[in-house]
Amino acid sequence: MTLTKNDLRRHLSGQFNADLDAIIDRVQTMGQLVLDQLRDALGALERNDGELAVQVVARDTEVNRLELGLDEACRDMLVQRQPAAGDLRLVFAVIKVVMDIERMGDLAKRVAKAALKSAGTPQQRFGGAIASLGASVLSLSDKALAAFVAFDGVAAAAIKQEDRAIDEQCKEITAELQLFIAAQPGSTGGALQLIWAARSLERFGDHAKNVAEHIFYAVYGKEIRHMSDEERAQWLTVD
Amino acid sequence: MHDTQAIRQLVLRGRRRDAIFAIIGLICMMIGILTLAFLLAGLIQDGAHRLNWSFFQNFPSRRAEQAGILSAMVGSSLVMLITAATAIPFGIGAGIYLEEYARRSWVTNLIEVNVTNLAGVPSIIYGLLALSLFVYALDFGQSILSAGLTLALMILPVIIVSTREAIRAIPVSIREAAYGVGATRWQLVRDHILPYSAGGILTGVIIGLARAIGETAPIITIGALTFIAFLPASPITAEFPFISFEWLESPFTVMPIQMFNWLSRPQAAFQENAAAAGLVLVVMTLVMNGTAIWLRIRFRKRIKW
Amino acid sequence: MVEKSTMDMSIRVEHKESSTEARALASLKAEAKALDFWYGENQALKSINMRIDEFRVTALIGPSGCGKSTYLRCFNRMHDLQDNTRYGGAILFQPDGVNILDRSVDPIEVRMRIGMVFQKPNPFPKSIFENVAYGLRVRGQNNRTEIADRVEQALREASIWDEVRERLDDMAFNLSGGQQQRLCIARALATEPELLLFDEPTSALDPNATANIEDLIHRLKEKVTILIVTHNMQQAARVSDYTAFMYLGELVEFGATRGVFTNPAKKQTEDYITGRYG
Repeated sequence: MTLTKNDLRRHLSGQFNADLDAIIDRVQTMGQLVLDQLRDALGALERNDGELAVQVVARDTEVNRLELGLDEACRDMLVQRQPAAGDLRLVFAVIKVVMDIERMGDLAKRVAKAALKSAGTPQQRFGGAIASLGASVLSLSDKALAAFVAFDGVAAAAIKQEDRAIDEQCKEITAELQLFIAAQPGSTGGALQLIWAARSLERFGDHAKNVAEHIFYAVYGKEIRHMSDEERAQWLTVD
Repeated sequence: MHDTQAIRQLVLRGRRRDAIFAIIGLICMMIGILTLAFLLAGLIQDGAHRLNWSFFQNFPSRRAEQAGILSAMVGSSLVMLITAATAIPFGIGAGIYLEEYARRSWVTNLIEVNVTNLAGVPSIIYGLLALSLFVYALDFGQSILSAGLTLALMILPVIIVSTREAIRAIPVSIREAAYGVGATRWQLVRDHILPYSAGGILTGVIIGLARAIGETAPIITIGALTFIAFLPASPITAEFPFISFEWLESPFTVMPIQMFNWLSRPQAAFQENAAAAGLVLVVMTLVMNGTAIWLRIRFRKRIKW
Repeated sequence: MVEKSTMDMSIRVEHKESSTEARALASLKAEAKALDFWYGENQALKSINMRIDEFRVTALIGPSGCGKSTYLRCFNRMHDLQDNTRYGGAILFQPDGVNILDRSVDPIEVRMRIGMVFQKPNPFPKSIFENVAYGLRVRGQNNRTEIADRVEQALREASIWDEVRERLDDMAFNLSGGQQQRLCIARALATEPELLLFDEPTSALDPNATANIEDLIHRLKEKVTILIVTHNMQQAARVSDYTAFMYLGELVEFGATRGVFTNPAKKQTEDYITGRYG
């Protein structure tokens, strides 16, 4: 049976309903925080804003705190309710999503660190590409988080395609940066930071895609992780 | 905050009521016990000195000092034998059939109501029935056989009801367990129903017999004689076939009737005899009821539902 | 806020039997076909169709009054003991394919092939040995050694032999609740039934005894087909290979346990399992 947002509120136990609602809220909060982190990190990178970058690094502890809190809430849910069917799939998905979001937080922190350490020519030449990659990643992650909070399996299924585009973008930028390094060994330090930043962005997108796949499982009870495109096509029909 | 004073008053009032009720209950109980005690004391005072070996071995006689209850005791025993031999199998059988085999219908409900009612019918009615049925119609005459059958009829409802009660006490879960293992209905009755209800059934039988032993009216009605100075023929004979049924047709008397006979004589000595006989009867009844209670307790210990 | 995709995509997710392969290997032990049941005028079971696979545990779950115990008791003709009951349809019992509900089939015969364990342990007020031996005696078994052997074997299979071997002549009532229930299981096993029916066997027991019996069921299914009614859903999830959800006398959903408990096909099943339903 498909899980809907409304199902969260239909348990005979009001406390159960409230607990589940609270968990979803907290996931949303944590996700928003991580997205803000990435936005700020990208901004810091673009404008060379060292202070902002430092803030981002510092705020990662908040992300970790939220992770611990959510894990505990999920443990409580497991031991108290022994959830089954849709509820079980949801708690399972939340546990996984929290892991992914925490990694996204770490990756945002990495981008901020890159902002602190990079400067000069590589920045001027490649800053735009990085910013564009960052925008794609943010857009994808926004959609993934929104799909999770809204229990929108349809939207979640569409995200894999977007993630491909991001992977491609990252490959391009990395390749060009590598050429740049070969041509101008003096700016290797700065260029390397940008490569790290690009890779972090790409992995950020991957984790966001994971979030989408987890909510798909929660809603439909079907794992689409690690499926080939043909298999996926079999499971989804397009009207 | 609750008013502890008020609560204390309430509790004290309740305690006082408890005490008053306990005392009233005690008084009621003592009235019953004391009455019985006085009765027994009176009997003992009047008749105990007559209880010697000769009392049990003598026949009734016009001379009070020589009178005994031999014929009455033997008569009572033989009548009880017939009663038991008849009422027990028929009563238990009927009880088992009604409880286990008969299907619930308006007929069985009617039977159930009537059986319970029969237990309350005055005993003299049974005497009348016995007179017309056993003594005249079936021509058993005024004999031990008739008396035994009459009393059997009388205590049949008691045995049927106690059999049914004992069987009903067996939980459905035991029956289900037996059927579940593949037992037939007869196997269920033989291996479970009868053994487990034996205690209750036995209790009912003994209570019924204890009642029968003291019944006077029906026996008088069918013609037990009041002065019997001989014993019925012995059931066991010297020659083949070694068992005789002559005693079934013999005239006889029973304990309560012997008592009644003595009581109606003016001489004080006979009153003492009556008291002595009464004592014997009371003791016999007490022993039988006591056995019934002891059996019930013993069976309850072994089988706990 | 997610923006609705311009492609109007609908998702159809199939509920494939993940145990289709496993099912192909298991053979059929019993099958209910359009099974109806009436208590007087009241129809308690409505056209139930259900497979019971051999050497598997099938669990029946559902709210009170849904008919799961009624359904269970059809298998060993327990309803015959009550007046005014009527069966409809059939239960085919393999390997002979006989309809055990047919009037011409003797319920005693059925009960010799299908055993039952009840909710409240109900040992006979006899000794431990006699309890287990009774099923054999009822079949006319008289040989003392044979009976003793079978009793020991049954007590071993029920995982209670070590606890009672020294006191086989003790009254069964002296055992604890969990032990009494295992004794009842031994009693049912002594007659080597082909199908064993469990009617909420652990609802009167503490967690320790419950765990013992669940493990026991796990071992037993290698030799006997098992049909178990339980109102404890976690127990159904732990113990069974297949789960049937019943509601108001009808079979709502039937499937491999994992599927039913992680992704049921029917909303009613989901609601019941997740406590959105009494």
